[in-house]
Amino acid sequence: MGKILFKDFKIFNGTEFIDAHELLVDGERISAVGSGLDGTDAEVIEGYGKILSPGFVDLHAHFRDPGGEWNEDIASGAKAGAAGGFTTLVAMPNTKPAISEPSLVEYVLSHGKAAGASRILPSGCVSKNREGKEMAELLKMADAGAVFFTDDGAPIATSSLFRLALMYTGKDQPRIMEHPEEISLFKGGQVHEGRVSALSGLKGIPAASEEIDVARGIALARETGGRVHFTHLSSAGAVGLIRQAKKEGLDITCDTTFHHLTLNENAVINSGYNSRYKVNPPLRSKEDQAALWEGLLDDTIDAIVTDHAPWHMDEKDEPFQEAPFGIASLECAAAVLIDFKNKNYPDVPIGLILKKMTSSPASLLPEKWHSLGRIEEGAFADLTVIDMERTRIVDCNEWYSKARCCPWEGIALSGWPVMTFAEGRKIWQDNEEL
Amino acid sequence: MTVLREKAKLMNSDDLNRVIKRIAHEMVEQNKGTENMILVGIHRRGVYLARRLQKIIEEVEGTKVPCGELDITLYRDDLTMLFEQPMVHSTRMPQDISGKNIFLVDDVLYTGRTVRAALEALVDLGRPSSVKLAVIIDRGHRELPIHADMCGKNVPTSKNEVIEVKVTELDGKDEVVICERDAQ
Amino acid sequence: MNATPSEIGQIVWRHRNVIDVDCFTREELYFLLDQARHMENVMDRPIKKVPVLRGKMAVNLFFENSTRTRVSFELAEKMLSADVVNWSVSGSSHAKGETMRDTAWTLEAMGADIVVMRHGAVGAAQYLASKLKRAIVLNAGDGTHAHPTQALLDLYTAWKHLGSLEGKKIALVGDVLHSRVARSDVIAFKTIGCDVVLSGPPTMMPREIASLGCRYEKDPRKAVQDADMVYLLRIQKERQQDGLFPSVDEYHRWWGADGELMKYARPGALAMHPGPINRGVEIASEVADGHQSVILEQVRSGVAIRMALLYLCGGGAR
Repeated sequence: MGKILFKDFKIFNGTEFIDAHELLVDGERISAVGSGLDGTDAEVIEGYGKILSPGFVDLHAHFRDPGGEWNEDIASGAKAGAAGGFTTLVAMPNTKPAISEPSLVEYVLSHGKAAGASRILPSGCVSKNREGKEMAELLKMADAGAVFFTDDGAPIATSSLFRLALMYTGKDQPRIMEHPEEISLFKGGQVHEGRVSALSGLKGIPAASEEIDVARGIALARETGGRVHFTHLSSAGAVGLIRQAKKEGLDITCDTTFHHLTLNENAVINSGYNSRYKVNPPLRSKEDQAALWEGLLDDTIDAIVTDHAPWHMDEKDEPFQEAPFGIASLECAAAVLIDFKNKNYPDVPIGLILKKMTSSPASLLPEKWHSLGRIEEGAFADLTVIDMERTRIVDCNEWYSKARCCPWEGIALSGWPVMTFAEGRKIWQDNEEL
Repeated sequence: MTVLREKAKLMNSDDLNRVIKRIAHEMVEQNKGTENMILVGIHRRGVYLARRLQKIIEEVEGTKVPCGELDITLYRDDLTMLFEQPMVHSTRMPQDISGKNIFLVDDVLYTGRTVRAALEALVDLGRPSSVKLAVIIDRGHRELPIHADMCGKNVPTSKNEVIEVKVTELDGKDEVVICERDAQ
Repeated sequence: MNATPSEIGQIVWRHRNVIDVDCFTREELYFLLDQARHMENVMDRPIKKVPVLRGKMAVNLFFENSTRTRVSFELAEKMLSADVVNWSVSGSSHAKGETMRDTAWTLEAMGADIVVMRHGAVGAAQYLASKLKRAIVLNAGDGTHAHPTQALLDLYTAWKHLGSLEGKKIALVGDVLHSRVARSDVIAFKTIGCDVVLSGPPTMMPREIASLGCRYEKDPRKAVQDADMVYLLRIQKERQQDGLFPSVDEYHRWWGADGELMKYARPGALAMHPGPINRGVEIASEVADGHQSVILEQVRSGVAIRMALLYLCGGGAR
């Protein structure tokens, strides 16, 4: 690991595109950003005008490790992230056993390091064993390196537990990430309660399920002064509630997924109810999808996440009603969003999207990680090169991820990451590119 | 795509109607009267021809011989070789055919497979005393041991040719033409 | 008949799998009804057999119990001279351990030409059809999604009595939310040109009824007003346990079809039901056994329609 000089790039620093076209990496960190930099002893990488962005930061990805390694493990997940342009991935704790004690937090950290690809940051459960009864050892887990607390896969089981956790963590501990859902409204549900449920006969999950839990979290945050982050928003109603809460000055943040921004219930219908489109929360109406974009544009939504939910083909290849929920997307998510934005929202600057994939999510991590998602002197050399002209067909058989299916299989997309560096080391490169 | 090109007219309206008249007389002669006689037209043109024969026999003998229609689609021996299954038409017998003398009527006798299917269909409907066949044109090339008891005209043809018997009820005019297949 | 004979004479039948009724055009529906009529004639003969499917193997793959539908298909298959195999699977494929993919490939290895499947999961028939290379799939019901042959036999029964269905009105009353029969009937009757109205407890209707393209009347008398056909849907007693309606008696008083309700329909209106009926719940005995009821005829129509479908889709070369 020595010096690398990036020449002739359009540089995005995590917030905006800057005038500089060159960047020098020395060891793990960025040593200079500007023009006419001294490239002695440095490996030179020519950009030809491609975008140089901070590596993407994904706050929400599932690796089934420990307990479900045939679907994905930390190593395959980290490599998949690298191939998608992600340099930091937050691993969700709903594994078997669940990550609700410090030794398992360390397990995730060390396996992540050993993979030698994207940086894996662990999260810990709010409740012991994710049972929703007692609070887990949150302080110990934070100390061991957990960056979020979440019972994701489910909402926090009781409002009293949620309240206690908010009071306990306050403003100086990792944030609580809430999976917003009302259990009795979700039960048995398969798709959005709307056009798709009416036509298919599949049981619908009303948007009210998400809104009710968001309202709950906001009320508790207001009362305790704690901070809540709502993850994978899918409905217009929830975006509206969070917009209000932010106006009020509450420390409420949220994210939505690459697939909720780019797909809606019509995709489920048009696919003939193919299980690749089965996900929780479900793909909702066109109006909900438009509201998510509005939320992105007016900064109601802080980050875009993959909610990468890998399943082995044997598990996922079933009739819709019998298949598990989840879309795997690490290796194509960025391209899916860039391609969609260019076709449907051409006036939205690419920088806005990239911000929600880099510095904005990084700012929700504990303070020591706040320099992630930025290009500036002294920051980690976590870099992703994006070629907006690159066209490629999504081929799940080439994936590093063990999940070999996704909704975009066989589709040609334009605008791909083509090189990924983590801490100054190249962790992935698109071989066909050269 | 093959196109049928009309080569020659074998019969005009008068010729065709004379042939039908003759066949009607032959039927009554072979049956020795009209007792126990049932005419059965094979869809589609055979049905119209059978009705005309019925009318002529009524004019000549004073009796209206019962007339039925038979669709042989479900008994074709080539169904498993077709991609699109052909449309089924109606089968209607005026009475039970058991013990009756059936006179099958069709426009053209060619390979004999249609008549074989018609015999199979009749057998499923009852047990006729006898079955005879009347056709307007026999064009040869039999693939099964089937013969016509009453025939309007024998016309030797090649496999590339097609004979069309046109009837006013369906085609707007009465005539018999021979056509050639032109590959395009 | 409202499609002209020449219109249906032009039809070339290209459908192989039948997953739902939404794949048929209006002309194709009339074509199917016409062909079913000829098949029904076969049912009247002393020899109830034609050799159309001779040498073909039909497998009735039923993951859900249903003697009536299975027997109806079996009779249709046998009248067309097919070889019939009945394969009943109790419990889901998960419980058994065998995935549907493996079941599909086993069937093809066995030489099945036609698979008639009923399954509890929405999308199961579509899924099976995507896995089979040679055999065709006829959907006998997939979860709460579709039951195409039921809708077709309902159309056929109505057509036999009322003639052209263009502009006629049909009211469907009952648990639409959980009914594959309702979903397929709405599509079929709308395609053929009927005015379709739904009625039943609001808790048993999809929220977005507009997506189905018909209107909802909470008051069944308004729904049934001037209707030519009143179609009663089965109420499953489990729905009461799910809390969707408080009691069978309350359901029957408000939405059950009795003589009083039928008075709002046109005189000569048909009373229809997919069977088996729950007497005293969705339908009163006086209606089920009355002169307007065509319920038993629906059963007979079922065999004829299935014969027509089996002939058109299952016969012939691949």
